[in-house]
Amino acid sequence: MEFNVLIGGEAGQGMFSVELELTEILSRLGYHFFATKNYMSRIRGGHNFHMIRVADRPVHALSGRPWDMVIAMDNGETERRHRPSLGESGIFIGADRVGQIEAEAKGSFQDVTATSAILVGLILAFIGADPAVLQEAATDETVRSAMARGRAFAARWELADRMPIVPKKVDHCKLDGNQALALGALLGGCQFVAGYPMTPATSILHYFAAVAEEVPVHFEQAEDEIAALNMALGASYAGLRSMVATSGGGFALMTEAVSLAGMTETPIVIIDAQRPGPATGLPTRTEQGDLNFVLHAGHGEFPRVIFAPGSIEEAVALARRAFDVADRWQVPVFILTDQYLADSVQIMEGRVPTKMLLRDYPVFEAGYRRYEITDNGVSPLTYPGLSEARVEVDSDEHTEDGKITEDLDLRVRMVEKRLRKLDGLQKEVVMPSRFGDQKAKTILISWGSNRLIVDEAVEALQDEGIAAASVHFGQVWPLTPKMARGLSRKRLICIENNATGQFAQLLRRELGLKVHQRILKYNGECFTVAELVEKVKRIVG
Amino acid sequence: MLKQDIAWCPGCGDFPIRATLEKVLKELPVPGKDIVLTSGIGQAAKMPHYLPYSYFNGLHGRSLPLAVGVKLARPDLTVIAVSGDGCQYGEGGNHFIHTIRRRLDITILACDNKVYALTKGQSSPTTDQEMKNALDPAGNLNLPFNPLAVALLVGAPFVARTFAGNPQHMESVLREAILFRGTSVVDILQPCVSFNKVNTYTWYRERVYMLEEPLNDRLEAIRTAQAWGDRIPIGIFWRDEQFVCREGKDTFRKPVTEDAVARLLNTKCIMMR
Repeated sequence: MEFNVLIGGEAGQGMFSVELELTEILSRLGYHFFATKNYMSRIRGGHNFHMIRVADRPVHALSGRPWDMVIAMDNGETERRHRPSLGESGIFIGADRVGQIEAEAKGSFQDVTATSAILVGLILAFIGADPAVLQEAATDETVRSAMARGRAFAARWELADRMPIVPKKVDHCKLDGNQALALGALLGGCQFVAGYPMTPATSILHYFAAVAEEVPVHFEQAEDEIAALNMALGASYAGLRSMVATSGGGFALMTEAVSLAGMTETPIVIIDAQRPGPATGLPTRTEQGDLNFVLHAGHGEFPRVIFAPGSIEEAVALARRAFDVADRWQVPVFILTDQYLADSVQIMEGRVPTKMLLRDYPVFEAGYRRYEITDNGVSPLTYPGLSEARVEVDSDEHTEDGKITEDLDLRVRMVEKRLRKLDGLQKEVVMPSRFGDQKAKTILISWGSNRLIVDEAVEALQDEGIAAASVHFGQVWPLTPKMARGLSRKRLICIENNATGQFAQLLRRELGLKVHQRILKYNGECFTVAELVEKVKRIVG
Repeated sequence: MLKQDIAWCPGCGDFPIRATLEKVLKELPVPGKDIVLTSGIGQAAKMPHYLPYSYFNGLHGRSLPLAVGVKLARPDLTVIAVSGDGCQYGEGGNHFIHTIRRRLDITILACDNKVYALTKGQSSPTTDQEMKNALDPAGNLNLPFNPLAVALLVGAPFVARTFAGNPQHMESVLREAILFRGTSVVDILQPCVSFNKVNTYTWYRERVYMLEEPLNDRLEAIRTAQAWGDRIPIGIFWRDEQFVCREGKDTFRKPVTEDAVARLLNTKCIMMR
């Protein structure tokens, strides 16, 4: 049993509030749900819509089925665009009924923003939420009272208990993708974040600015992304695990400092929350177009690691791991996310592991050499001020003690020292996650945010008697042969939110894997399960 | 004392700046281990390589964001950014403005030879109008950037100019600048013996005069900073004793605890509405 609702309207008409309040209360009541949004790069007007799926089992994608309910906060546009996708017995709540709710909000609460809580009450009544439990779960009296009015509206319009869904109370945490990354970063020991606001990465910065009020973490708003990454490198050099978060355009400005991190071997974590490019592109929509860019960003040759989490759990785990990898190997570690994952609110079942990853602060004698040449390429790392050991770091080619050099034999040894780290990094790759019957001939390959959409599509295909399995790459660089074990004999279909199939090309180049078909989407929207099932069926017949 | 091969031209104004900095830093009431130098790229940006302190010699124009990062992470460190005019005012011009606005206790030094020396003589932001060089064969068309006036206008609480040809003056100005609690900006007039045949030691010696005291207010300091040509003032133009320096956060070796993270788990989603 599941319930799919769309709430549409102009920017500023309160849909964000409905989603925020509804997901918060759904989480408290113990429902499984998934919520995401499609919004324009404007503060007022236009057309935005929020999509929420509530189910009696874990859901982590948009189903793509006809809507069970469409709520129009505007007068016409939502109806025109989305009413055609309403299911046969679906409910349309249009301007007249929303108008009554708004009148109630103004009349009873002297506050039109109470509309969102009334709508939340109405939706919850529709799915049969126990009014008594609901009253307990509400945070304050106004919300409690407004949700009761929502239930009254549902009763008046004969909408109460129409699609009862039973909450499965499980230990869980409610997170959106950016929040999950920020939490993972904290668990990884991140204590310094610098950034310049850019959609869809901005909420990561907001998160850190907020937690910096409570914990020993510093957030600094930089004058531009160039400064942001240089600040973070300065802080990392001085001894804090550090991070920046931006989107492709901001990352473009950071690329010279990525190279600086590579040369100076300064640990750093860089989040690129992708949106459609080139240039300003579609600022508030989703894409996976920056893989090649992040893979190749920065002049010169140096090792790097790129993670691309496919779920909230993985976002927490890989962000946490990123700091550990960056520190131990003294390389830039990237996390590729996108607007879709960033703006999706979902349930993470079970306990979030709160074990912190902490760094050491080793102390050396005077004569310490920051770039001592070692077997695995990793030199001892410490920070200024701990002893007479000077920490000398240079963007020029340098000697073992960090002095500028043009000794070309030493240059060769330093290049090889830096690149040797790749050998070690290849030994500790995060293996792809596999789902479904791996004996199936057809394998759906994905990376980053598409993972759980693909997995649900695999289930749906199996239900229709079509054998398929999925393989998801949460680490997209480096790639090693063991990550692709068994895949060369399969029919591979690679699913990506870009127009050129960047990951399919990378698999071919790095692992010699031939992808037979590609399912690509680049209109700025995420895939839905139903859409993916249709496309796969068209390929496999 | 240095066994190192120094990459500057014989007679370079960076030599006396280095010697003075070495003396000032050695005599500072701060342990040498707690001093960090940041620099960008250019002749002056090589400075940290020739001084016995921790340093981060970064990219062209980026000495200041590095310095900001170091200072925010480690308020206990004494942070000095040293680079040339091209680095601090040109490639890093935006950082120059915004670093001052951050109110941190950082010293910003610019070895200002009014020319791009490492790339062999092109105009820099402070090159005088009509100066001829390979990229401006008809003479520099741009107005020269006035670092002191800009620093004053943006709100720097300590703004000074000194001259590489006067080590005693340099010593006192640099010491005051580093000890000042707040963002201090020092433009150091530095003859380039290879590429600037106009602004030579002799040219400066005939023109510089010392300000006895800092000026009375910021506007007067800005007016005085406009002077250039026949008479060039050097000294501390402005020193704001009332300045409130931003305090950094004590985070180094104080990790976030697991309890704190557990409390943060229930933070609400931040939707960018």
